[in-house]
Amino acid sequence: MVFPARDASASPDPHEQHLDTDIQSIRAEIRTLQRRKRFLTSSLLSSDSIQKFIRKPPPTLLLSSTSIADEVSPLVRAAGKHSDSNHHRIAFGTTAFPFKDPGSVGSSSLLGVRIDVCVRGGRFAKPYYVLLKSERVKGEKERRLRVYRHTVPAFIDIARVEGVYLSFPGSGKSQSQEGDSDDEAENSEALKGARKSGRRQDLRGFVRELRRELVAWHLRSDAIELLREKLGLSEEEAQIDPAERLSPEARGGIVALAATAVEARYVRLEWEDGRVGRFKLSNGGIVERAVVIGDDGRDKQMEDAMTGGGGRVETLLERLRERGAVAA
Amino acid sequence: MARAKTLRAPTTASLPNNLRIPSTTPSLAKSLGKHSRQALLDLALLWLDDRNITFFPPYLQSNARNDTNDEETLPYPAAETIEDIRQAYIDLQDRKGAKREVLERILEGDWRHGITLRQLAMADLRYMDDHPSSLRWTALELSRIDARQKKSIDTPMPDWSTSIPRAQAATFVRALQQEISPLVKAHFHLSRSSTLPLTFLRIFILDTPYQTPRQTPEVFADSSRVIYVAFPDSCPFIYTSVSTSTGSKAAPSTSSVATDPRSLQRLVRDAVPKALSRPHERYTLKATALAAKSLPTLLALRGPGRTTAANGAFSIFADAAVEGSPLDPRPSNTVSAEEHMRVDSKVVSTEDDKENEDAINGWGTASKRQKTGGDGTGDGHLSPTSKKRRLATYSRFGTTGGSHVPAPLDRLDIRLLDAPSSDGGDAATAALPTISLTFTGSDVIGGIRKLAELGVIDPERMPSWMTGEEAVSMAVVRGGKRMKSSA
Repeated sequence: MVFPARDASASPDPHEQHLDTDIQSIRAEIRTLQRRKRFLTSSLLSSDSIQKFIRKPPPTLLLSSTSIADEVSPLVRAAGKHSDSNHHRIAFGTTAFPFKDPGSVGSSSLLGVRIDVCVRGGRFAKPYYVLLKSERVKGEKERRLRVYRHTVPAFIDIARVEGVYLSFPGSGKSQSQEGDSDDEAENSEALKGARKSGRRQDLRGFVRELRRELVAWHLRSDAIELLREKLGLSEEEAQIDPAERLSPEARGGIVALAATAVEARYVRLEWEDGRVGRFKLSNGGIVERAVVIGDDGRDKQMEDAMTGGGGRVETLLERLRERGAVAA
Repeated sequence: MARAKTLRAPTTASLPNNLRIPSTTPSLAKSLGKHSRQALLDLALLWLDDRNITFFPPYLQSNARNDTNDEETLPYPAAETIEDIRQAYIDLQDRKGAKREVLERILEGDWRHGITLRQLAMADLRYMDDHPSSLRWTALELSRIDARQKKSIDTPMPDWSTSIPRAQAATFVRALQQEISPLVKAHFHLSRSSTLPLTFLRIFILDTPYQTPRQTPEVFADSSRVIYVAFPDSCPFIYTSVSTSTGSKAAPSTSSVATDPRSLQRLVRDAVPKALSRPHERYTLKATALAAKSLPTLLALRGPGRTTAANGAFSIFADAAVEGSPLDPRPSNTVSAEEHMRVDSKVVSTEDDKENEDAINGWGTASKRQKTGGDGTGDGHLSPTSKKRRLATYSRFGTTGGSHVPAPLDRLDIRLLDAPSSDGGDAATAALPTISLTFTGSDVIGGIRKLAELGVIDPERMPSWMTGEEAVSMAVVRGGKRMKSSA
């Protein structure tokens, strides 16, 4: 009974093991290099100069009947197409695409909207998608769009945005948003003052509001991450210049700073002397409201420093430091 | 048990944290006995932690002096200091042994004067961390009743945030206590999950108005008197362990005074949205037709993230598995879904060390995945039909049911209202047969996906409720479509 167990747990020849790890690391390196190669080839293929060269018929071939574009490999053309759509995605931030719902019986086609949001460090967040379905209005001939599926986080009330900009007669009662029907009515009055059912759908407005909300969320969480990096609280690799990081003395005794929830609307602060604070971030990156409470009640000075001076969240720590210097 | 002499008067306070359950209670030993040895040791050390020690101090020699009991007969002599006890558990941790010795030491040694309600709650939550699918959770949606907000309309930038009730833990518990105190005596314990973005509330309920109840101590370890409510971060859903789906009007119990644990549970469940409400901001709970044993599943299907409203075929969008970042020069169709999902937006810095690690870590799953099929790339040795089937399966299921995003449903209940002969049309005929289907297993959708890959189910013709697209665990289906009203 003892022996097989030992055998199983006993380590093989250390030399072999060493070779195994070597092989593994070499394989990993090969894969990395292969990926890099693929990356570079596609960058090269989609690069501006190559694409321009291919599109422009060179003078030597002017006489021949086929242009070079017909001869180049489909790879180059695919790369060109891809870089075109990437340019659109970068420049406009919102792009539309057709999508065929594989699940529906009558194979209905959907309108997809892709929203790209640029975040800190020159990167893009995972794209957000909204898929819209065109449905016939009951008793009428016209077809209207309706949000079918989406990947927008739950704290953005997409149903309400839809209710205002993509109003659909009869929705709000039969659908899952009973509570919002009043709201929708009010919003619609305020926005258009038109009849509820006959209002035109405003897809642009819908996408604009949705995108604004998504961008604002990313900006808020990026700003909080920036503050955390300045305070040296971030676990992740810092993206800021090390010179910008505050020395422990300059941190003003702040020992914790974090968003209270994924939505990153409220931020909680903690000082080493036991004071705790909380502030609300607006979509524009302004500290709207702030509360700081210590052992002897509210710290109004600190609160003023947080909301005062324009209230930009990025410069919050500098304001707090100045205030600290004045107080001392 | 010295408490027996205290004055008993009905109060509205909650059951105190330090109410001790006698250690000799058999059900207590049984309830703690569920834990592994390691979990028991961790718990004991957690109870002895400086932050907790004042709430439930262990039995020390100083206590023993006042005690008339014959010290000699007991197997565990009382320790001198807390440090000694800590050392004892650390020693236990270092050597191997049976779970029993730890349990006995806790119950007959260091906490022989009783285990407090709070300790029991901590033990239960630890059990939940260790056994994530020990309970069945039902997802409920919190929705505003009176959404009559005047603000945010005239402002140039309207606020489209979902109204998620915000409450401070202590305030919420007090409000909940106020709601239920006339009927139920309860003990509350709030705790943050160590692994998931959730906050658990454990409620132990008792039908007595007295602070020091005279029930037999057995009831304190009765698991049917415990309700869990989990609050996921930043989304308008809550999960409860109360199974009665829409019980609030399940009438007949109104005549008799309901004191059985079930109706007490219902009372508490109904009180939760009221406790979350504030003036001008009322909430109610709505069923969402989803119940599952695994909390990660609930978080994926009714959570704050991207996957809540895009499942099944649409999970490719939720996981961003089809297209990369706009900075990625590689055409989308040349990059596998795994790479899209894994690399996210880091593509730009290929020579990062991180990237290397990613490649090493990710490769195992990627190659495994290609064997089991799914994305239809890189399986040249397959016959054309099975390749086609694989692509079709992928287009129907997306990434659902694959190994990447595990969100297993353990049960799927379907009621089909259609006549078996798919005539349609004459729906008015009186006696339509209904067929109820129940799938159970460790991962129902994953299983259906496997069947589709094997060709047992035609992936192109199967209805979308089989692909997990509807993200429900119970549905009524008519004409191949889920009926939303009956959810």
